[in-house]
Amino acid sequence: MKNTIVALATPTGRSGIGVIRLSGEGSLEVLAKLQGSNNKFPLAPRRAYLIQLFDPESKDLIDSAIVTFFKSPNSFTGDDVVELSCHGSPVLLRQIVDICLSSGARLAKPGEFTLRALANGKIDLAEAEAIRDLIDAQTKASARQAVRQMRGELSLRLQPLKDELLDVIVLLESSLEFVEDDLPEIQILRVKEKLTAIAEKTRELAETFQAGKLIREGLRVALVGRPNVGKSSLFNALLGSERAIVTEIPGTTRDQLHESFTINDVPVSLIDTAGLRETTDTVESIGVERSRATIADADLVIVMLDASEQTSDEDRQILKSVKDLNYIVALNKIDKVPSTDVDRMVAAEHSSLGYLRERITPISAKTGEGLDELRTAILDPFSRGDISTSGLLITDARHYDLLIRTATEIAQSSEGLDQKLSEEIVLVGLHNALRFLGEITGETTTEDMLTRIFSTFCIGK
Amino acid sequence: MFDETFDVIVIGAGHAGCEAASAAARLGAETALVTINLDLIGQMSCNPAVGGIAKGHVVREIDAIGGIMGRVIDRTGIQFRLLNRSRGPAVQSPRAQADRSLYRTEMRRVLEATPVLHLRQGVVTELIVENKRVIGIQMQDSRRFGAQAVVVATGTFLNGMIHAGRETFSAGRAGEPASIELAESLKRLGFPVGRLKTGTPPRLDGRSIDWGAFEPQPADERPVPFSFATEKIDQDQIQCHIGYTSERLHQTIRDNLHQSPLYSGKIKGVGPRYCPSIEDKVVKFADKDRHQLFLEPEGRNTNEVYLNGFSTSLPSALQVELLRMIDGFESVQIIRPGYAIEYDFVDPRELRPTMETTRLNGLFLAGQINGTTGYEEAACQGLMAGINAAFLTQGRKPFILQRDEAYIGVLTDDLIRHGVDEPYRLFTSRAEARLMLRHDNADARLAPKGHEIGLVGSTDWERFNAKRDRIARLRNALDATRLKRSSREYASISQVLGADLGDSISLSQLAMRQGVKPDLVQRLLPKDVCGDVRIEDLETALADALYSGYIEKQKLATERINHHDSLKVPDGFQFATIGGLSNEMLERLERAKPSNFAQVRTIPGLTPAAVSSVLVHLTANSGGVRS
Repeated sequence: MKNTIVALATPTGRSGIGVIRLSGEGSLEVLAKLQGSNNKFPLAPRRAYLIQLFDPESKDLIDSAIVTFFKSPNSFTGDDVVELSCHGSPVLLRQIVDICLSSGARLAKPGEFTLRALANGKIDLAEAEAIRDLIDAQTKASARQAVRQMRGELSLRLQPLKDELLDVIVLLESSLEFVEDDLPEIQILRVKEKLTAIAEKTRELAETFQAGKLIREGLRVALVGRPNVGKSSLFNALLGSERAIVTEIPGTTRDQLHESFTINDVPVSLIDTAGLRETTDTVESIGVERSRATIADADLVIVMLDASEQTSDEDRQILKSVKDLNYIVALNKIDKVPSTDVDRMVAAEHSSLGYLRERITPISAKTGEGLDELRTAILDPFSRGDISTSGLLITDARHYDLLIRTATEIAQSSEGLDQKLSEEIVLVGLHNALRFLGEITGETTTEDMLTRIFSTFCIGK
Repeated sequence: MFDETFDVIVIGAGHAGCEAASAAARLGAETALVTINLDLIGQMSCNPAVGGIAKGHVVREIDAIGGIMGRVIDRTGIQFRLLNRSRGPAVQSPRAQADRSLYRTEMRRVLEATPVLHLRQGVVTELIVENKRVIGIQMQDSRRFGAQAVVVATGTFLNGMIHAGRETFSAGRAGEPASIELAESLKRLGFPVGRLKTGTPPRLDGRSIDWGAFEPQPADERPVPFSFATEKIDQDQIQCHIGYTSERLHQTIRDNLHQSPLYSGKIKGVGPRYCPSIEDKVVKFADKDRHQLFLEPEGRNTNEVYLNGFSTSLPSALQVELLRMIDGFESVQIIRPGYAIEYDFVDPRELRPTMETTRLNGLFLAGQINGTTGYEEAACQGLMAGINAAFLTQGRKPFILQRDEAYIGVLTDDLIRHGVDEPYRLFTSRAEARLMLRHDNADARLAPKGHEIGLVGSTDWERFNAKRDRIARLRNALDATRLKRSSREYASISQVLGADLGDSISLSQLAMRQGVKPDLVQRLLPKDVCGDVRIEDLETALADALYSGYIEKQKLATERINHHDSLKVPDGFQFATIGGLSNEMLERLERAKPSNFAQVRTIPGLTPAAVSSVLVHLTANSGGVRS
């Protein structure tokens, strides 16, 4: 009983249904307390029952819930698990959780259900991390990535790399350990080719982190420009596409309009700033300070200019204040100028902005012209080439770090072979690489390696 | 109640028993060594050789701590070879063919020269136990010996069962009785017992072999001894020979598999994968058209030849028929046929790192009884058990070696942590710290410990210190001496190494480059230093330099896993609340009472799965992980 945990599994707040989850050997006992004298028959695992729940003190009926029992080890956590789908009133749910607590369960700590699954060997670390990501996912694409990883796709993808690496290790180790056995001679060139291929594939997978991180964490983009340059129109134009389901971003306030949308599955949070004009007005200067902070925090700043007007001092001041930041320029209102050729525009109206040429995207928030180019320009600094969300992406910094380390170790070992270093030295890096991969998906033991040696080679002087 | 009383009794006088008895007696414990047959002390039941990759390392470690195996093989070895000479020094290892009979004689001489060590012949039938503590042994002839500690080192004798063709009979080794009652006694005491299998090849009459048909394999010109005390190998060195099986022979084996107890299902025990019988080789590696055989003379005064690589339990008549298909064996005669043997072993997860059982105080197990194979693996366990048995009777602190200190530490830790499911043998790849655990620096690693516990005597200790000083001076000279572009040798060395060496490079840095041989460095050392340089000292100094850059890298991976070390284990934490831990793991955790994760990680015998379970729970309790 002491080891039974309980928690609300659905978000707090009013909802149609609220799910309370119990895990641990005492889960059924806790349920029995809630059932009171109606506890007559044992629940068959994995079947849904409509059960009336009572307050054990007052004997009052408090809810009718759909109850499912998962018997250990065939449950998410590997423990006995009971799930109560109750009516979604926060007060009711709180009361039921309280009854569970007074019946011997204790409140689960954050992540404890997943940790139990991990400890009980139901999932590996990569899968546990994926579950965390799935819960946190803000967009369809990041949810899709998390589901992929949760289904063990990362582990699956890494398995052949581990296998190939183990093949090389086995080859080198056996040549050291079984010097008196009649083993085939090692083809160093073949080994090097194999290592290069493994390192490349590992690095390729690691590189998807750029895209993976974008999809998971999204971008904070700040929009600055003097009044009437067309910020609101751009806002609406961009939002017109796909609205993302997002949570409130802390720190943004009402005077900073912010909305979220997606570009190629990347969640983008666009924040309109109050402007950066120097001012003596106290209230306004607070706004300016806040804008500066927003701009400094942003992954990217879009400076908006008006193509139909000359560059003003205020424009220049804005450009000066972002010069050390990551920024692009949206040249708006091209529907109002005769030529949409950027070079000519820059030459004619904005000669002082020649240095910005590479950063400028001409748009019309009104007609929609140039918006696709702007979307591309927003992602460009963050993604080298395409973001393809169809393949598996690395979304976790820890995984990225381990993959890069793996690739580096393998590359160094391959160089060691070039320098004709003895196998035991080359193997240090290869074993490190195997351990790094193992930190993502699970350990390869010495015993695994020996098993492969003995099944590959006839050892036995 | 006892006929005689000792401090320590050692049962079995094989490689584990001899080391155990010698160590215990030399540490001052009155010690009895009890064996079924005193004339077979130190018998090599299988291959007449000591050492090999990782095993040679262990013999040198045994010697550095103050054991006897290295000295005995140095005096009786008739073919010394340093294996892996073309590889780096960490994976080189000495191996020596022994004169089987000389080895036995010398081992017995060494034991008999040890004060307070008493030899006793007889069959032990039972351990005498009082209050969960062993207090003595019962002999078949009704004698009873008392002791405060008993080391059981019975090898393959526990319930030994020999298989040869369709014949099966009880034996400890060919021609010797098994230990059946002692095995039953251990089972009655509740020790979990499993069954393993091993085999041995036929011994041939050398006069019936056409030696010209085989490829000779000479001994090293400069034999590398096992013992740090040995200045020079005195035995005349012999040649071994190499031959091969043929496809016709393989086919005949395949046609007769039904006659092999291995394939007829009679043998239940698990055999070693790295030492398969010829039947196994032919079946499992059917695409190989020949298998290598080594013809190893059993001694200089005998015609008997050990046929390494041809372990078999086929009927002896068939063994002759098969052998005669081999070029050079046309009229070969078998002196002793090969056979397979099944025997009981005790699950080594029952052990503490001292080799004492957790079940019965004062009872130590060493050698094949713990599921290992190999004379060297047995000997090092005997040494550890002997030392700790003596220490137990003297109230001294246990002597334990860690994985990064010695192969002995790797072996004991592997045994108690993982147990065995086939006969356990050492490999260098089992050691995470392989680059540090070299055969040539075993004394630097372990002699100070051997001296501290009292097994390394003053002569050896002085010799060790002199060597340490010599190497330190050499290391300074290597650091201080620089090879300059202007020097006469620069161009030729740079050419040999195929690299520009810069304007000036110290000899230590030079040693880190592949292809730099000790004799080259020796020539570059200043005259006043190189005058008295011993080549083995130089090899050690150069090996230290060679690996210095990689040792850190080697530590990297293991240390990364340790970044949770500071996680606290709450006071009075109940490990039983962690689901999925076996009773054995629980017991180890509760006995160790760790206060942080670093200590959990280093508890001997804890499996990686148990360690991560604890980690996960500690992380959950500290609220450090979210889902």
